[in-house]
Amino acid sequence: MKGDVAERPDGVAFLLLLPTAILLLGLFVGPVLYAFYLGLTNIALMGPTARHFHFTGMANLHRLARDSLFWESLKLTAIFVAASAIVGVTVVGMALAVLIQHAVAWLRAAVGAIVVVAWMLPPLTAALIWYAFSTSGGTLSLLGGSSRLDVLDSFPMTVVCLANIWATAGFSMLVLSAGLRSVPTEVLEAGRMEGASRWRVFCFLTLPIMKPTIVTNILLVTLLSLGNFSLIYIMTGGGPGNATDILPIYSYQQALVFGKLGYGALLGDVVVIIATIFAYLYVRMSRTTRMAAA
Amino acid sequence: MPRHRLTSFHFAVLAAAAGASALGGASRPAQAAGKTVITCAYSETYVFDNEDLTKKWWGGVKADFERMHPDVTVQLEPIQGGYDDILNKLSLLYRSPATAPDIAQMATPMVDRIASAGYLLPLDKFLATTAWWKRFPPAIQQEAMWQGKTYGVTTGENDFMLYYDVTLFKKAGLPVPWKPMSWNDILAAGRVVKAKLPGVVPIWILAGSGAGDFSVLMGVNMLLPGSSTPTIFDDKTQKWVVDSPGLREVFGFFHSVFSEGMGGKLSDLFSESSNNDPIFMMPKHQIAIAFGGNWYGGNWSKLVSTPYWPEASKIAAVVAVPTVNGKAPNISTMVSGWDLAVSATTKTPALTLQLLDLMESKENQINAANWAGWVPGDSDYVKDPEFINFAPPYNELSAVILPFGITEPATGDYLVWSRGVQEATAALAQHPNTSVDQAIKILSDYVSNQLDPSQTEVLK
Repeated sequence: MKGDVAERPDGVAFLLLLPTAILLLGLFVGPVLYAFYLGLTNIALMGPTARHFHFTGMANLHRLARDSLFWESLKLTAIFVAASAIVGVTVVGMALAVLIQHAVAWLRAAVGAIVVVAWMLPPLTAALIWYAFSTSGGTLSLLGGSSRLDVLDSFPMTVVCLANIWATAGFSMLVLSAGLRSVPTEVLEAGRMEGASRWRVFCFLTLPIMKPTIVTNILLVTLLSLGNFSLIYIMTGGGPGNATDILPIYSYQQALVFGKLGYGALLGDVVVIIATIFAYLYVRMSRTTRMAAA
Repeated sequence: MPRHRLTSFHFAVLAAAAGASALGGASRPAQAAGKTVITCAYSETYVFDNEDLTKKWWGGVKADFERMHPDVTVQLEPIQGGYDDILNKLSLLYRSPATAPDIAQMATPMVDRIASAGYLLPLDKFLATTAWWKRFPPAIQQEAMWQGKTYGVTTGENDFMLYYDVTLFKKAGLPVPWKPMSWNDILAAGRVVKAKLPGVVPIWILAGSGAGDFSVLMGVNMLLPGSSTPTIFDDKTQKWVVDSPGLREVFGFFHSVFSEGMGGKLSDLFSESSNNDPIFMMPKHQIAIAFGGNWYGGNWSKLVSTPYWPEASKIAAVVAVPTVNGKAPNISTMVSGWDLAVSATTKTPALTLQLLDLMESKENQINAANWAGWVPGDSDYVKDPEFINFAPPYNELSAVILPFGITEPATGDYLVWSRGVQEATAALAQHPNTSVDQAIKILSDYVSNQLDPSQTEVLK
């Protein structure tokens, strides 16, 4: 089914879309393009090039190519996003969604409420909770039997990933619960009639049917995690050393600690490009899903 | 007293505030209801020991000046957040003449960066007319110079010293008073504490990057001035020193502290407030020897009461940090000040300079020193009983060691070198088997990667 509107744009539709288009261009596309331009300049927060900056061609890109910290940061970003989005979504989110579906009503309500509250918390609060939980003298070290036990500094990336999973699992649970409810029961019953175990029904019927929901969810959580500056910044500041220095943190450090706004902008641009790819996949995926549904 | 580094929350607030002030500032009148307005930007929470004292000092300056000049309004514009927030907010404010503060208080290294952007007024002519400027030691007069001109005037200086707990020293059988003559003496005392007093931190020295550049200022930079080669930036070659006998001596000291389990807990050392932890830990007898700031003593006074510790002067004794091998004068310290600078676009230069003059009055210099934990710039006031008796014996020692202090390089890339040092000390603290060679390599690789290998230098 092709949309007629898309083929024959009329004046009224154009007029109605104009305010949104202007806002998007002015407040989003414009600044993003400007950030791409700044990424190729030597603008600094302070110093001689704060006011008199100029276009430096490929200089920042050359620096990016041989900046080993950038590549390390890219790798850490991939680990953080993959561990949070894929593990967080497919394992924790799905497990919660399935458990809630089969739980008694009061338990469903209680667990659902707790998980959603965790998701609703501002990143600052979530970060402070996890900091207090995992640092030495915190809950985890007391449970481990020694107040000197410092889980956060010993396994920084694991802890920030867990914190991010904790904070986004509620969102995944809501999305996946809705997906689970939309799986037609007759299909599952047919599977059971054929003698398939619950596990096989889940693996070979529920999961394939839910694939679009799961993929959409992974993409959304990926986007959420990619921009999750606050959580890591508050918990570790990108450290210890560079252990959790994901791209948004590295970009911040270059721009607002070292004052190299131009290079910081370029690093931010890399995040924009990665996010754009995921956003494109997301839009494509939801369109295919809608068309398949139609 | 510098306290917290920024969080992203602060940053969000900063961004919002900057946006708001940019909007508001655009329409800010130089003349409001027939009155001339002079604006002052300063830190609300980071510089003075607490917010009440910030309000008291700046409020006092405002009230006095408005009494002297009834047709003038002094508009106070406090900046929230930590060290980076102050620089970031000022950077944004200076971008437009409409929002540039007539007078701003900033850390000394910021003056160079803001002056080199062309935002500040040279003060030399004005300073030549004042009585107090001549009494500032030459090193302090030159700390805020850029291309031969003076752009900043200190409101007070920080320096650094060793604090030790007399009660714990006696318990461990160590001599009191204690006068370490070399770094080895410090390590030796630490080893005795480690053996005899389990649970006490023998030697508190900052490592890692929790407190940003303060983790270096109160870590490596407490020792480097007293090492064989204190150079950080080689003025002749314009290169950053990433390997030198001095750096190796300092990293060797760190290696001993952490490989022998004499350092603080990692989670404390790596936290944002680590630069001030001893203020809270020493009254609880949790630290035997602390590399600390001159402002600790004032924080234990009744007026500041960060915690009030009446016995502080009897229990937390102070001594200058010695040099590596006891070479005279055997004092190792950096100095780092907070300066006042005037905007190049101020519409009322004469009045603004009068206000600056008032801020440098005897009363204001001494109050600022006592309330922010500084040593006054004026070499007469450092001997004044009002200053000496505010926090004895701390203020007295801080004044004695001040002339021997060296300053951090003021160029922006210093923070890159500093970050490299933070990474090196993080490794030394976290992985006690990290060798001095490995720590040097971390620093060298970091600076080479961030700047360029051609901008680094090895001193022999």
